[in-house]
Amino acid sequence: MTVEQVKRYNGSISILIGGAAGMGIATLESILNNAFKKSGFYVYSTKEFMSRVRGGSNTTLIRISDTPIEAPCWSVDISIALDALALKHMQGRCHKDTLIFADEAFGEGNAILVAMKESAKKFGNAKYANTYIAGMLFGVLSIDKSFLLQSIAEHFKGDEVNKEVAEFGYEVGVKLENKSKFKLPKVDIEGLKKFHQMDGTTASGFGFLAGGCNMLTAYPMSPSTGVLNFMAAMSKEFDIAVEQSEDEIASLHMVLGGWYAGARAMTTTSGGGFALMGEALSLSGMTETPAVIYLAQRPGPATGLPTRSEQGDLNLAVYSGHGPFPRVVLAPSCLKECINYGYLAFELADRFGIPAIFLSDQYLADSISMIEDVDFASYEQRRYIVKTQEGYERYADTKDGISPRGIPGFGDGLICSVGDEHDERGQITEDYNMRERMVAKRARKNNELIKEAIPPEVYGEGDIAIVGWGSTKGSISEALQNLNNPDLAQVHFAWVYPLSKEQLSVLGNFSHIIVVENNADGAFANQLRLHDIKIYNQILQSNGFNFFADQLTLMIEESIKEIL
Amino acid sequence: MSNLFDKRDVDVAWCPGCGNFGILKLVKEVLEELEIKKNSLVNVSGIGQAAKTPYYIDTNMFGVLHGRALPVATGIKLSNENLCVVAEGGDGDMYGEGGNHFIHTIRRNIDIVHIVHNNMVYGLTKGQASPTSQKGFVTGVQVDGVINEPFNPLAVALSLKAGFVSRINIGNIKHAKEVLKEAFLYKGYALVDILQPCVTFNKINTYDWFSENSYVLDDSYDASDFEQAVKKSFETIPMPIGVLYKNKNSAVTFEEAKRGRDAKPLHSVTHDMAKIQRLFESY
Repeated sequence: MTVEQVKRYNGSISILIGGAAGMGIATLESILNNAFKKSGFYVYSTKEFMSRVRGGSNTTLIRISDTPIEAPCWSVDISIALDALALKHMQGRCHKDTLIFADEAFGEGNAILVAMKESAKKFGNAKYANTYIAGMLFGVLSIDKSFLLQSIAEHFKGDEVNKEVAEFGYEVGVKLENKSKFKLPKVDIEGLKKFHQMDGTTASGFGFLAGGCNMLTAYPMSPSTGVLNFMAAMSKEFDIAVEQSEDEIASLHMVLGGWYAGARAMTTTSGGGFALMGEALSLSGMTETPAVIYLAQRPGPATGLPTRSEQGDLNLAVYSGHGPFPRVVLAPSCLKECINYGYLAFELADRFGIPAIFLSDQYLADSISMIEDVDFASYEQRRYIVKTQEGYERYADTKDGISPRGIPGFGDGLICSVGDEHDERGQITEDYNMRERMVAKRARKNNELIKEAIPPEVYGEGDIAIVGWGSTKGSISEALQNLNNPDLAQVHFAWVYPLSKEQLSVLGNFSHIIVVENNADGAFANQLRLHDIKIYNQILQSNGFNFFADQLTLMIEESIKEIL
Repeated sequence: MSNLFDKRDVDVAWCPGCGNFGILKLVKEVLEELEIKKNSLVNVSGIGQAAKTPYYIDTNMFGVLHGRALPVATGIKLSNENLCVVAEGGDGDMYGEGGNHFIHTIRRNIDIVHIVHNNMVYGLTKGQASPTSQKGFVTGVQVDGVINEPFNPLAVALSLKAGFVSRINIGNIKHAKEVLKEAFLYKGYALVDILQPCVTFNKINTYDWFSENSYVLDDSYDASDFEQAVKKSFETIPMPIGVLYKNKNSAVTFEEAKRGRDAKPLHSVTHDMAKIQRLFESY
């Protein structure tokens, strides 16, 4: 079986659009996503782009379907090149039946030539090429153009020319040959109305808002900056103090100052920035000051591939910071989980007095999919702050290790938080008995924390578990549907650290465990091995993309061939 | 004499005769005389002998990592502007390890008192040069003497338009108290650089040396004259002590600019979930 032959489980259509940075692909993506949703399709889009502001060669993949869709595919049905470089860049993803569109100025080979630039010029601006393409695409697919015109009207408020260009493009598309071979997915215009379209960045932002985030200090770094921007925009709507710090060291220390005085604070960063936060993470652990860190991974080491994706920082998240202390690492896998775990990160940090690391990546942050209505009233607003009395002790040695957390100016007690080893009052000590007591107290918090560990989601009833974590869920799930093999089941983790025996007990039900990770070190499989889980096989990748569902289908097929 | 801010049952870790004792006493007296409430004061410090000071004062304190008192203090003040926030530490802590934070805290103009014990040497690590060590100062590491230009905190602060820039000598306690009080009363970022001897590791810059090599700015000095302050900040031997610069029209502070005047402390800020719902549904 080849990638092109991978049978799609649904009637989805995939469209790949390529061009240079600055050509307006993002606008085109936004118009089309909205128009396809209005037309009654489930829509998914993702992008891969170079680390440059202008030029280069970037692509956006849009998929439409009649069932929810949350994964990229390598092989595409339609390819649209906005420039010659893109035509070449996308070649590998086209097969013999792919409809390839290119401008007449540079098109070659089996590309269908259209007058993108000339038509745009006729209407007075090269930028109209995007609207022309949108119109043409709707024409080629024979989808009711009124949805596209609505979307364009919403996007370009009041600009009538764009509508004219779209109509013009539509007529061109309708008249093109080959268009009839597409069988469109079924539409459900009414059903789709309860869905919302957003990327992982936005969903995570809503999760943090639901978690009561009212302070964010961060240093910009791709691919985490989206959440910083989101919260900055939200600071116009809510009482949120947002500050761009001088460096990541300052970011997390400001966050700790914020929590110490009662804020619900967070920072956003990627691996390189998080590396600088190691000491502050350790300070959070020692002083038992909560912290929430949105860590959006990109491939490393060092600068790595700044705008691409990888699950390469699990070990960094789990082990960074000197000295042992409890922490939680959450890796949501879809929009709904971005919201739930964004909320949960604040809850856990506050309740246990620990750092909570929310592990996303470029793929999850930048990909757009659909999420059903969410009831925000169900996210209860809790605070774990106590009003203090005189004689209050910040590090009271309690049974569960969690010392009631006071804040300065709220009650008559004094709050002494200390990065040195300390006694219950928060006074420096080198007493070896006290040291042992405090180490044990902090460790007991971990015993409480793992009781909260959320078991993995299990789909299917097969004997062979395809285990994943975080952003790979959609791809694994589509690959398994492609394979349609009753021997397979999907087991997917979002709570990735600390793992508990109870949480892992489900893995005992399988004859074989295969772990899929978008990294080179198999860090999660290694975590499982620490808990005596036997791994039969591993599927790893570190090419800067998320797994493409069609490619992953073949990888999984290969990985199980000796079992069956 | 007892002070409201005396902390009981603590084991003070300084060497006998250390200049830090004088600073501890000075700070506690100023706090008491200004009638600052214990539970509305937070003293944040990093690491070093000077950074131990808050452990000996009966108030809220956050003992953080080397060089990091300023960003933590910033987070605290941003979270609750009703708190009186002090960041206190030594020259290595504040000007070396925390140098970048020093620059950007001044730029923010956050309303804190920044107290820096400046003894021109590293005490806790046993006697290496600090950013403010004088040229030629010989240590176990700088075996041929310091060759780097000493860091000039006052000139740096002024170049960043700090609103309150001062230097005091712990050997002149009466004058020091006046200046430190003024710093507490100033609204906005206030730097107080305190000349202080390390009796164990710095045999050059002693109590006597500081007194012989400094002079008090008298009444004829106009602290509101920025250009004059810049000139003064570059005088080295003898060093001027007192308030070098005080911006009469104190600028808007960081926390005011960020969150508005009389902002609610963030511990009591929750979001309107119905509004989150509406915004979510606009997608």
